[in-house]
Amino acid sequence: MTSDLEIREGVDRETVETVQNMGSYKYGWETEIEMEFAPKGLSEEIVRLISAKNDEPEWMLEWRLAAFRRWQEMPEPDWAMLNIPAIDYQDIYYYARPKSMETKPKSLDEVDPKLLATYEKLGIPLKEQLILAGVEGAEDLVEGERQVAVDAVFDSVSVGTTFKDKLAEAGVIFCSISEAIKEHPELVKKYLGTVVPQSDNFFATLNCAVFSDGSFVYVPPGVKCPMELSTYFRINAENTGQFERTLIVADKGAYVSYLEGCTAPKRDTAQLHAAVVEIVIEEDAEVKYSTVQNWFPGDENGKGGIYNFVTKRADCRGDRAKVMWTQVETGSAITWKYPSCILRGADTQGEFYSIAITNNWQQADTGTKMIHLGKNSKSRIVSKGISAGHAQNTYRGLVSMHPKAKNSRNYTQCDSLLIGDKCGAHTVPYIEVKNNSSRVEHEATTSKVDDDQLFYCRARGVGEEEAVALVVNGFCREVLQALPMEFAMEAQSLVAISLEGSVG
Amino acid sequence: MLEIKNLHVKLEEEDKVILKGVNLTVETGKVHAIMGPNGSGKSTLSYVLSGRDGYEVTDGSALLEGEELLEMEPEERAAAGLFLAFQYPVEIPGVGNMTFLRTALNAQRKARGQDELSAGEFLKVVREKAKTLKIDADMLKRPVNVGFSGGEKKRNEILQMAMLEPKMCILDETDSGLDVDAMRLVADGVNALRDAGRSFLVITHYQRLLDHIKPDVVHIMADGRIIQTGGPELALEVEQNGYADILKAHGLTEAV
Amino acid sequence: MGAAVQKSTLEARLEGLSTTGFAPAARKDALARLVAMGLPGRRDEYWRWTNPADFIAATPVPAQAFDDSDEAPVFEATDRVKLVFVDGVFDADASDDLALAGVEITRLAEAPDLNWASGLYGTLEVAGQTPVARPLAALNTAAATDGLLIRATAKAEKPINLIYIHRSEVSDPILHHVIRLEEGAELTILENGPAGARFNKVMEVDVAKGARFHHVRVQGRDHERRAATAIFARVAEEALFKSFTLTVNGVLTRNECVIDMVGDDAVAHVAGAALGDGASDAFLHDDTVFVTHGAERGESRQVFKKVLKHGAVGTFQGKILVKPGAQKTDGYQISQSLLLDDDSQFLAKPELEIYADDVKCSHGSTTGAIDETALFYLRSRGVPMEEARGLLVLSFLADAIDEIEDEGLRDDIVGRLEAWLNRHRD
Repeated sequence: MTSDLEIREGVDRETVETVQNMGSYKYGWETEIEMEFAPKGLSEEIVRLISAKNDEPEWMLEWRLAAFRRWQEMPEPDWAMLNIPAIDYQDIYYYARPKSMETKPKSLDEVDPKLLATYEKLGIPLKEQLILAGVEGAEDLVEGERQVAVDAVFDSVSVGTTFKDKLAEAGVIFCSISEAIKEHPELVKKYLGTVVPQSDNFFATLNCAVFSDGSFVYVPPGVKCPMELSTYFRINAENTGQFERTLIVADKGAYVSYLEGCTAPKRDTAQLHAAVVEIVIEEDAEVKYSTVQNWFPGDENGKGGIYNFVTKRADCRGDRAKVMWTQVETGSAITWKYPSCILRGADTQGEFYSIAITNNWQQADTGTKMIHLGKNSKSRIVSKGISAGHAQNTYRGLVSMHPKAKNSRNYTQCDSLLIGDKCGAHTVPYIEVKNNSSRVEHEATTSKVDDDQLFYCRARGVGEEEAVALVVNGFCREVLQALPMEFAMEAQSLVAISLEGSVG
Repeated sequence: MLEIKNLHVKLEEEDKVILKGVNLTVETGKVHAIMGPNGSGKSTLSYVLSGRDGYEVTDGSALLEGEELLEMEPEERAAAGLFLAFQYPVEIPGVGNMTFLRTALNAQRKARGQDELSAGEFLKVVREKAKTLKIDADMLKRPVNVGFSGGEKKRNEILQMAMLEPKMCILDETDSGLDVDAMRLVADGVNALRDAGRSFLVITHYQRLLDHIKPDVVHIMADGRIIQTGGPELALEVEQNGYADILKAHGLTEAV
Repeated sequence: MGAAVQKSTLEARLEGLSTTGFAPAARKDALARLVAMGLPGRRDEYWRWTNPADFIAATPVPAQAFDDSDEAPVFEATDRVKLVFVDGVFDADASDDLALAGVEITRLAEAPDLNWASGLYGTLEVAGQTPVARPLAALNTAAATDGLLIRATAKAEKPINLIYIHRSEVSDPILHHVIRLEEGAELTILENGPAGARFNKVMEVDVAKGARFHHVRVQGRDHERRAATAIFARVAEEALFKSFTLTVNGVLTRNECVIDMVGDDAVAHVAGAALGDGASDAFLHDDTVFVTHGAERGESRQVFKKVLKHGAVGTFQGKILVKPGAQKTDGYQISQSLLLDDDSQFLAKPELEIYADDVKCSHGSTTGAIDETALFYLRSRGVPMEEARGLLVLSFLADAIDEIEDEGLRDDIVGRLEAWLNRHRD
């Protein structure tokens, strides 16, 4: 490869190298560890059992039971452009935890070495002296340059959270949600379910009933969180659903950047992941939430993989509150996910940057909702969808300007790229404008990978598959740039890996 | 012709004062130039005179032949004989250049109690004037400014000026974005319109336009005021030494 | 529920309608289809923003005949064959002679059997029922009382103008036209006039290889109109289909257009300009378009513009579907609204569904107020406020109007727009 290779704007040498180092799904191994399961299936008893396992107060149990009763009445949604095989909700383990986690370790030193090794292997060192989380290429970075606190969730439980003390000094609470329910009930009570109500949708209601763990963040007024926070989700056990719940609260004038990563072993049977993320953003506060979702996508024949049905929503309650969602969705057999922004306060801002890559038989139906309620609110949506193999990739979104959201703005750009003639790319935006001082602009394009660009790369000696990855990375550039640096690097290599076998 | 007294202007939405007491008199038949560094308030002055929204006049007056401009709607100012050649002429897709010119011309004639021009008469006049500005038939047919080059847009502004025959012409940075040939074409167009009954206010950052459109009076504007007034030699001084010395003499520094 | 079974909405809607007549087999199938899919309801995704209640009610909301004699009849400047329907009944006396070189015209209510048409009647409508049900169109096929069967075998000598006249306050016509352009034929259909208190119209258009079909329609001025219309078009190889609709006023208008591009190198353009002023009565205008590319190198355009004021509501549901194998498709869609005040609303769902990779498809949608900078520019040239706003409205609509190929027709439409703007100044 020549060193002065210039493919197109936005593709640099770093990308080239990353692409050359690509491999296949690296996270498909399994940790052999003794597990404790609740009986398969879903019933009121299971809900009570999960609550009891977490040693929850009565109010929490009641909250779960209310959700469970509601869920039993709800029909499964079918509006997305997804072909979802029937899910037998009675054939899933709703609670699985490593035996060694029966008594909660008091510190990371007490955590089962097998679990620590699992995260180590995933590239998520749960040791505080090794600072970087969750990320490929992290080892290349100068140690100490950046600190990231990690909450590691293994199947149904949080196995540990790093840097808790350092964060506590700044007044930041970062712990598992099960711990928060016990230690900070006033905060959990105040905010839980206020952004995504219990009745929100089928999968969110299910989550309310059976969530087993997840992360909790509270950043007090005026505090800029001293380091990035992250949660790393690992599904390990077979036939197990993961139902985690994340609650992030940025109080007045606070700031936090939050990263989320996910992987699971390769298995023949599909597994369900139904999470809820709620973010509350008060006046002048700002939250950045970045996801690299790399659940097992199923094999090249569409066998197995994670069903990723996630409800994520941020509520910009106070004036000038800001939220930015960035997601790189490369994994999962089926993705159903619409991280949304409620722009309630005046001068609030919501941003959504997304890359969704589907290959083989993957299906993704993802996008965002921008609900403009406050005046002068602004939102921006940049979505890049890439389809290859037999995959189906849909952008679905809503931009709503309420009558009171005067002088608001939205700009949406949705681009789809098709690789091969067996896949599909779809765009389903809903636009509702109810005042005339606001301006809404939506643009969408669909095209195939540019032959000239591919040819140019290949004429310079780049293999076809790498060339595609290069061009796709260029196509995604705007979103990759929105990610924190380490995540951007991982995302670039994921783009390449996800598209393996898509040409030729 | 134009008499601006103690004009104070702030932005409507923000507490930002742009003009801090502008005094300026342009006599009938004269060409005045306003020069000044970026951010001095030159363009704001042109917008306020022509009635653009977003500015609040907190004090002062601007009279055109004794009539208060600041109380008029933009189209009334145009009918009264004021013309602003925009720094960034606006593109209006779907409205033909000819239709636009005719609508404007007839609206002004109507406002002045004159008869509307017939289609034939109008066509004759517009073709003649377009020719001297090297504006071809195709440009006249195309939608207003859509797909025009920088030079074409500015020529189109001068064509409008020629058609509407205003008394008081303001040229806002008309030279910006033009190469030498385009600038000469525009300047020739303007010079052809100079006469004893018509005045010009030429706003520019650089002296070079003034080589082609010779001013009678040159003003230097800074920090929302006219800080110095002189003859054409003042423009040359700026050309040679920049604004720094003049600003310094008035206790100002150049905004970056 | 007791023994005295209450009539279902569907039974009530069908009461008094005859499902016999031309093409009996097709009608029977359509009725079965309708029964299977049921009438549309508020909860149907496809009726998300438009309440179909007035379309499915047993009887229409009465509407006064609208007097538009202050304006010259539309299309008057065009030499054309005028065919008149009064409250949905063909009026031979008011119409021109049906003879037209290159075209056979037959009245549906009088055709006992017409081979080409009975084979076609309802078939394009059926095809258009997938993937989205269109019950009002099935109802139409089952119960249409009149319409025209038009077959062009060559280039038509002049356009055919279907003129709808509304006299009775409670007229509720269901018209079904079947139009077939044989290979290489050319035909222009013009439509205008308020048809009734409630109007359900289906037009099936079959454009054979290399044929060219133009359609210009004016839905106008009657404030109280409730109309649900649907065009089902099949466009063959190298054929062209172009449809433009101007809509002004109307309480409730739903215009569906379903285009199936079945042949290679086909071209289909569908455009609409709607002006709504909610001051005199409610205004809701709904454009629902579905373009399917089923062959290679097809070109489709959807250009929809709406100008809304005083609580007027505009909705747009448009889709481009590119089937597997429809390579080199060029699909474009734009939906834009100009909201002249704060009470009006625009609701849009512009969709792309694409299963072929070598395609160029895009859509855009914008909503906002009049561009203040452009308004100032015009006013600084002496154009008074209202006139300047009018010019900018015309500027906004230009892309849609440009879809009319015939210059004379285009000028006629622009004239109507100007007149409307003058009548609706604030």
